Amino acid sequence: MKVLVAVKRVVDYNVKVRPKSDGTDVDLNNVKMAINPFCEIAVEEAVRLKEKGVATEIIAVSIGPKVAQEQIRTALALGADRGILVETEEDVQPLGIAKVLKAVVDKEQPQLVIMGKQAIDGDNNQTGQMLAALTGMAQGTFASEVAVDGDSVAVTREIDGGLQTVKLALPAVVTTDLRLNEPRYASLPNIMKAKKKPLDTLTPDELGIDVTPRVKTLKVEPPAERQAGIKVADVAELVEKLKNEAKVI
Amino acid sequence: MSSANLHSSPERVIAELQAIVGEDKVRCDADTLHSHGRDWTKAWEPAPLAVVFPRSTEHVQAIVKLANAEQLAVVPSGGRTGLSGGAVAANGEVVVSFDYMNQLSDFNAIDRTVRCQAGVITEQLQHFADEQGLYYPVDFASAGSSQIGGNISTNAGGIKVLRWGMTRDWVAGLTVVTGAGDILELNNGLLKNNAGYDLRQLFIGAEGTLGLICEATMQLTRQPKNLTAFVLGVENFDGIMNLFNRFQSEMDLTAFEFFSEQALQKVVEHSKLPRPFESTCPYYALLEFEKLNDETEEQAMALFEACVEEGWVLDGVMSQSLEQLKNLWRLREDISETISRWTPYKNDISTVISKVPNFLSEVENIVNSEYPDFEIIWFGHIGDGNLHLNILKPDSLDKSEFFEQCGKVSLAVFDIVQRFGGSVSAEHGVGLLKKDYLQYSRSPEEIALMRHVKQVFDPNGVMNPGKIFD
Repeated sequence: MKVLVAVKRVVDYNVKVRPKSDGTDVDLNNVKMAINPFCEIAVEEAVRLKEKGVATEIIAVSIGPKVAQEQIRTALALGADRGILVETEEDVQPLGIAKVLKAVVDKEQPQLVIMGKQAIDGDNNQTGQMLAALTGMAQGTFASEVAVDGDSVAVTREIDGGLQTVKLALPAVVTTDLRLNEPRYASLPNIMKAKKKPLDTLTPDELGIDVTPRVKTLKVEPPAERQAGIKVADVAELVEKLKNEAKVI
Repeated sequence: MSSANLHSSPERVIAELQAIVGEDKVRCDADTLHSHGRDWTKAWEPAPLAVVFPRSTEHVQAIVKLANAEQLAVVPSGGRTGLSGGAVAANGEVVVSFDYMNQLSDFNAIDRTVRCQAGVITEQLQHFADEQGLYYPVDFASAGSSQIGGNISTNAGGIKVLRWGMTRDWVAGLTVVTGAGDILELNNGLLKNNAGYDLRQLFIGAEGTLGLICEATMQLTRQPKNLTAFVLGVENFDGIMNLFNRFQSEMDLTAFEFFSEQALQKVVEHSKLPRPFESTCPYYALLEFEKLNDETEEQAMALFEACVEEGWVLDGVMSQSLEQLKNLWRLREDISETISRWTPYKNDISTVISKVPNFLSEVENIVNSEYPDFEIIWFGHIGDGNLHLNILKPDSLDKSEFFEQCGKVSLAVFDIVQRFGGSVSAEHGVGLLKKDYLQYSRSPEEIALMRHVKQVFDPNGVMNPGKIFD
C-alpha cells in the first residue's frame, strides 16, 4: 500500500513569534523553522505502518519554498522513501494546498493520505477536509488511532467529550491528532541515508494549479499583555472586587 | 559562632532586624526557618534564628553592621539550589535572603550589560537577555530557581562552560557589603581595568565568607544561532574522549556532556522521555553546536561518520527542532532531579581534560571494589574535565550510616584527585560538605592565605562562618 504524507515547514513550536513592526505578518527573519508537529506525527504513523508491513512505500510531499526540502529530508530520515517538493514562493492557503495535493494524489494514486490536522502557523484545520472533498476520498480527522484492515481503515477520532471510531473504505485521508503517537528522533545514520533518497521538484504550474491566495491578511498583532495579579487583604476585599470590578458575582 | 554568643537576647536582635527591614520582612515561623535554612543538601537540619529579607544594599549593610555589633553570624541565601551546604544555617544564624532583591535595571545595549540585584533568578536574566536579542550563557539544571548572587558566590559553571566559561567570566561589576559592613563598588563594568588588585574576583566564588553580594553588572553576549544537539551512543569511556578530541579539533562545540546508561534509564523512567534511539550503549555523549548552514551540518555528519568508522560511536541522533533539542538536553539535565530520591552522595570533581579517562577508571575501580553494593551514576561536562560522581543510597542503609560510608569513599576518591592534581570541588563550592577535604586540592600555605584574606574583609568572623574552612 502506498502512503502519501504531507509535511509543512513552519516556525518552530518553541519560538516566541513577534509581529513585524508594520503589522503585515509574523517576523520570520532568522527564526528557527521546523516540520509542523502534527505533520511529524503523520510521518511517524506512516513509518509505523511500513514497519508493520502494511505500507509498502511512503512519499513525503511538501508545498513551499526551496528550503522546505529540509523538512522533506527530515521525513526521509524518519523513514519516508521518497520526497516531492512542489516549489512556490507564494503564501499558499489551505484550498491551494488541497488542490496541489489532489494533483499529487492523482499522479501517485496512494491508498492512504496521512496529514496533520492543522499546521501550527495558520491553525486552519481545513486542508485534510478539503482534500477529501476534492478527491472524493473518505476522511477520518483528529485521529488518535489508525488501524488498517484490508480495504478499510478504522480511525479513532478525538471528539468533544470522548472518542469516536469510524471505518473508512480506502483510499482515505486521515488527519492526525497529538495523541496518535510519539515521533522518534531522526537517527544520524538515517539522516545520511536520507540524503541519497530521491526528491523530485515540481511547480504548481506544472500541475496546472493556481495557488494565488484568496484570503488577504489585514493585520497581525500580538495578544494583549496579561496584567499582573494583585494581592487582596481579606475575603471582604476579594468579594468586593469580584462584584464591582470583575462583575462576576 | 551561634546564637549563644549573641550580645543581646534573640528577641532584641529580631526587633533590631525588624527596625531595619520592616516587621513583615523578618520571619521566624518554622516553615520559613526550615526552607530558608538550607540548600539542596539534606544532610544538615536547618536551625536559623531568623530569616530576613532586605530590599536594598543599604538594608544589607545595616544587617551586617548589626551582625558585627551583636556577634551574630550571617548566612546568605539565594535560590537554595547549592549542593555543598554553603547556604546551610544550622546554628542560630540569621539568614539573609535575597528573594525580594530581584530587579533588573540599567540595561546598556552598547556595553551589553545589565545590572542585577542579587536575587534575580538566573532564568530571569536569560529571558531578559533574550528579549533584548542577546544571550546570558551560564546555564544549568537549576537555572529556574538559582539566583545571580548565589551563582556569583559559587562561581557557578554548568553545561555551557566549554564555550562560554564560568559565571566569573560574565561579572563586569559588583556591589558588595564586606563583612566589616563597608559597601564596595568593584570594577564598575570595565572590560579593562589593571589599576591594582581586582577585588571583584575575590568575592566571586567566596561563598559569602567575605561579604554579601548585593548587586552585579552582568555581561551579555550575542545569541547563538540555530543550536543543534547530537546524542551519540558510545562503547566505552575512551571512545568519549576520542570523539571529543575529534569534534573539538574541527568544530566549535557549545557543549559536550556525557552520561551513563544507568543515568539515562532512570531519567527516561522518571521523566517519561523517549530514549534517543533503541539500542542501549554503556555511555552517551551530548554535543551541541551552532548549525550555521548546510556546511556545518555536513561537517558534523562527516565527523560522526569518521567516529563510527573508528568504532568509537555506535549510534546517534540529531535534534530537528527546538523541542527535540530541549528533550535531548533533558536526558542530561534531569539526572540530578531524578536521582535525588536516592539521597545521592555527590562528588563534583575535576582534573585536566587529558587525564580524565585514567582518573575516571581509577575512581570507578576503588568504589566498585570497596563498596560493591553502591550504585554509581556518572555524568558530567567532559569538555571541561568536570565529572559528577553520584553514589545512590541503597534502601537497606539509613542516611547517617550511608553518609558515613560515603565519607570513607570520599577520602579514597580525593586521594586520587590529589594525585591527579585535580579539584575536590569543580563547580559546587566547598561549603560545609567539602571543607574537610580542602587540603586535597589546596596547599597549607594557600589555605593559610585564604584565612588571612577572610580576616581582612570580615574581622569579626560574622560572614557565613564554618563554610570553606573553620
